[in-house]
Amino acid sequence: MELGLSSTSDKSVLKLDPRTKLCLLIAISLIMVGGKTAGVEYILRVICAAIPFVLLLTVRHIKSALIYVVLIAFSVFCEGSVIPNISGAPNLILMILCGIISRFVPGYMMGWYTVRSTSVSEFMTAMDRMHVPYFITIPFSVMFRYFPTLSEEYRSVHDAMKMREIGQSVKNPFTYIEYVLVPIMMSTVRIADELSAASLTKGLCAGGKRTHICQISIRLYDWLLMFGTLAMIVLFFAF
Amino acid sequence: MEKKFEVKDLITVGIFTALYFAITFAVACIGFIPIFMVFMPLLVPIFAGMPLMLYFSKIKHFGMVTITSVIIAILMFITGHPYPIFIFCIGAGLLTEIVLKLGDYQSIKSCVIGSSTFSLWLLGMVIAFFFGFRESYLNSLADGYGQEYVDKMSGYTPTWVFFTMIAMCIIGGLIGGLLGAKVLRKHFRKAGMA
Repeated sequence: MELGLSSTSDKSVLKLDPRTKLCLLIAISLIMVGGKTAGVEYILRVICAAIPFVLLLTVRHIKSALIYVVLIAFSVFCEGSVIPNISGAPNLILMILCGIISRFVPGYMMGWYTVRSTSVSEFMTAMDRMHVPYFITIPFSVMFRYFPTLSEEYRSVHDAMKMREIGQSVKNPFTYIEYVLVPIMMSTVRIADELSAASLTKGLCAGGKRTHICQISIRLYDWLLMFGTLAMIVLFFAF
Repeated sequence: MEKKFEVKDLITVGIFTALYFAITFAVACIGFIPIFMVFMPLLVPIFAGMPLMLYFSKIKHFGMVTITSVIIAILMFITGHPYPIFIFCIGAGLLTEIVLKLGDYQSIKSCVIGSSTFSLWLLGMVIAFFFGFRESYLNSLADGYGQEYVDKMSGYTPTWVFFTMIAMCIIGGLIGGLLGAKVLRKHFRKAGMA
């Protein structure tokens, strides 16, 4: 099943705590989006870009890990040694391309890893331990669960349109957007209803303290990774 | 009208925020090309208007829009926008909340106005180019993107552009809201889904 927030995370070799994953996610986004491409920050960027690759390997997503490492190595290499040496239009094009890849893809892959390797109850439990109020955690877990479904829905709509040969014949962009968005919105409404029915049967509305069966705890390597990310963030802001 | 805030509402918040955020993010990505950066506050609300109007039509309680705005602020902050995004997001969320409340969560007119006030959060995405943030942000951009890119960006964003952007948000929100209302009438009202 290609759905997010999977129900089990047994496939993982290295079982990280959801809080560690969040720490890493924030650090990677901060450093990759805002980082410079020279000096100490360049080294930090290379380290940050490598983290999702290693983590993807630990959940045995070999194929996506390899695609990711090729893309990111290309753009980080370009940023480090090609772009400073050329100018004009090629510089701008290459820079925008590499900029989009190196800024957003690591964060996206890290987010994808987090979603894929964390079950809903692990996420809820970790949030509960951090004393995040439930009116933030519930929408968040629903969101992360819904993003992969959204891309699936989009693909189905796209296929259905292709089969009826609608896609190419629509010239007006607003009509095209209407054709794509309306079915997605319809299914969104339906999914929202189904999810609330499911949550009702699982007693999410019952009130009282939520208990959980999943084991989450911050282990030694979680501490190490957290200290590592903290050190990276400190270095990042110091330079 | 039921008054109690339920888990069902939180799920509605989660799902529609995801849809809204996905569309916003897709449209906002073209902001990488310098000239589109300026028009982003106009384009995003137009495209995101449809799901937003559907979302507004589902809202029955005070507080849901505010939660959406908080979630968007957190996501935007994680994806590397500076902290003023929180002020803009939550401000726009509260303002929209009041507008919707005035329409008693039923009037389409207040939903359309709400769509334009909610779009004001986009200003939080571009605030870094203006006022006190400008110098330091442009410097950090210069290190990451190169001087050429920054020159183009700063050329397109003198201070007065910020005020046009406010107008763009409001107008874009209105257009998006009207389009959304039209789509709702055409497809969802008949099916009894809105």
